[in-house]
Amino acid sequence: MLPLAALREPGVKTQRRSPPPSGPRAIHQLLPRLAWGDAVGNQVRYLQGLLRQWGHPSEIYAEDWDDACKDQVRHVRECARDASDDTTWVVHHSFESRLVPLIARTPGRKLLVYHNVTPARLFEGFERKVAAACDAARDELLAMRPLVEHAFAYSRFSAEELSAAGFASVSLLPFAIDWSAFDAPADPALQAELSDGCANILFVGRAVPSKKVDDVLRVFTAYQRLYQPRSRLVIAGYLHRDGAYGAYLHGLKEVLGADRVRFLGRVSAAQLSACFATASAYLSMSRHEGFGVPLLEAMYRGVPVVAYGAAAVPETMGGAGLATLSDAPTDVAELLAVLDRRRALRDQVIGAQRERLRALSQDAVATQVRRAFDEVLSAERVAPPVAWPSTGVELVCPGFTVRPDDALSRVTRRLVERLPGARVLALRPRGEGPSETLAPTRVEGRPVWHYTPDQPVGREGAPLPGSSSLETAVRVSSTPVVLLGADTLCAQALAPRVGARAWGVFEPSVAATALEASRQHLGARLRPLDPSREDGVVDALVNAVSSSRGISHAR
Amino acid sequence: MRAEDLLTDTPTASAVAEETRKLPPPSAEATESLRRVLESSARAATPAPWPALLQEARGKMDSRHAGPVTSHRGGLSGPALVLAKRAFRLFFQPFINEALRKQVEFNESILDALATIHDVQREHARTQAQWRQEVDRRLARIEAATRANGPVEADVPAPGPVVEVGTPGGPTRTPAVETPAETKPPAPGTGGGGRRRGRGGRR
Repeated sequence: MLPLAALREPGVKTQRRSPPPSGPRAIHQLLPRLAWGDAVGNQVRYLQGLLRQWGHPSEIYAEDWDDACKDQVRHVRECARDASDDTTWVVHHSFESRLVPLIARTPGRKLLVYHNVTPARLFEGFERKVAAACDAARDELLAMRPLVEHAFAYSRFSAEELSAAGFASVSLLPFAIDWSAFDAPADPALQAELSDGCANILFVGRAVPSKKVDDVLRVFTAYQRLYQPRSRLVIAGYLHRDGAYGAYLHGLKEVLGADRVRFLGRVSAAQLSACFATASAYLSMSRHEGFGVPLLEAMYRGVPVVAYGAAAVPETMGGAGLATLSDAPTDVAELLAVLDRRRALRDQVIGAQRERLRALSQDAVATQVRRAFDEVLSAERVAPPVAWPSTGVELVCPGFTVRPDDALSRVTRRLVERLPGARVLALRPRGEGPSETLAPTRVEGRPVWHYTPDQPVGREGAPLPGSSSLETAVRVSSTPVVLLGADTLCAQALAPRVGARAWGVFEPSVAATALEASRQHLGARLRPLDPSREDGVVDALVNAVSSSRGISHAR
Repeated sequence: MRAEDLLTDTPTASAVAEETRKLPPPSAEATESLRRVLESSARAATPAPWPALLQEARGKMDSRHAGPVTSHRGGLSGPALVLAKRAFRLFFQPFINEALRKQVEFNESILDALATIHDVQREHARTQAQWRQEVDRRLARIEAATRANGPVEADVPAPGPVVEVGTPGGPTRTPAVETPAETKPPAPGTGGGGRRRGRGGRR
């Protein structure tokens, strides 16, 4: 287990309880919905098996479940009845649950397992209800801070967000995969249908906006038109055909004009095996993965993986497969073509993927999970008060490190000099992975807090990506905020949340639509940055922020 | 693909980038055709506010709470009635909430369904518009080619290069000639027409 240093103020110490009673204590799991076959449901069942194997009574409580799971689950209203002070609750969080009040009143110790929540912006334009639920899920995550003693994350990407949110005790939990489930015999009919000599490009997952199936279609179109006319795209996973995104995908398919695109919908284990058995490459353009099981499944089945390196995807792939920081369809199509035409390189990729899976063997993972739980349970810790660094003002400049020559980065540097106690929050540079410990790094002698972007930072001129960690860090602070780049995705997400204590600056050349949220929530506190009058903007911001803090010693 | 855009240990990013450079460069025509189609399909993610025609219904979705308590009576009886009504609501609100819970859930569901239908129609309309633009562009190209080559060549398509396309029975070879028939837009509401072959420009 990798303990993460939390953001803790000096003097806040771990409290200890009296020694535990003898005999294994009950460790139950709680989640909003137990589904059959999804990543969260599989983890929950796997953990239950392990906990029971270690002698702990362990049940699963959910508010809703698939029919196939009805014998494995109890309703959440039985939680309070079955719990005592010695019970430990493992709360799984990945979506809006409305379970926080129940968690608060249920006796026992609580541990959080954070699977990550998809940023709401990835559903914008298609699924307004899901987008609202994602926002609500992040609110619930923050509401759970005082309730849980320890938080587990399945990736450093998720752990970083927990640390940014102020969870005092955070560590990594290895992701367990039941590899034997992938050994189902292939469906012969589908296998024969797909084995017609075409190069099959496969994507597995629900066709939802965050998975960017539209980009998969674009990449495939480029691949088919430029390199491999005899190719097929197979998309295996639930597609809501009556929804806006389903309609968009079908329309896009026609507009792009790619041949042989198959939307298989939900598939059985045998059909999935047939898909993998006939796939020449696995392609993922997903913009958000808390871990990314299908990538590992493809590796297990000997299919080379090409994936866009967003969120926890690079971590999941661990240097194996081909993760790309470019989402340009022609660039990614080149990788598919290379795998198709260069046998030696393809074999090298598959070999490296096999090597990657060795670290994820079930025995190794079970040992690590046990160690992780033992450490937390034996420590008998009580959640310390939530604490985060107290600063004078949050200067949110996503491009501070990645685009240091931008006018907004210049303004940020000047503000740091003039506002005592100011903290700069910026995106991590390209290619730098999430950090398990959140601490400032020095950029040009100034301390800067770096957060992992949700997607790789694009080339010069491309819009900067958002960052769930950065946005969470700003939300949990209570100090004034200056959004340097009010048009950025971070600012758009933050404006509704921190608008009352925020000021914003934007370059006049940005699109009006990108400023809509800031205009609405910041009003007169939003200022354009005229490059010839930077001094005036800096003075105005310093005066405004200083007066809001009630200080007069700004330099 | 540039090496700095790749995250891979084995093979190294530079080795993969080097291999991509060795790929035979696609024809300029195919590249340009692809660029055009990708450009026409590009779409920035923009928030979709609630459809205006559903805003009023949305405001009335929660039927558990009635409007402000009033009385048209004057004198002492007016305020007394208002007070009595308020007391009634205060006391019975939990029961009203429970009685109307299903109704509120239904209202919410039906509004979501209507909004989804609205969004789906919007997507279809957008697709149709893209198709119209694509058809116009292709017609313009055909007309330009006709003017350049003379009327005979325009009426009788010249034998062109062929591409292989798949059919349920296996691949066949089809002339890769763009004709107006190939650009038939999908029927509204069906999400697409039949299989089109050989699209993607002359190769």
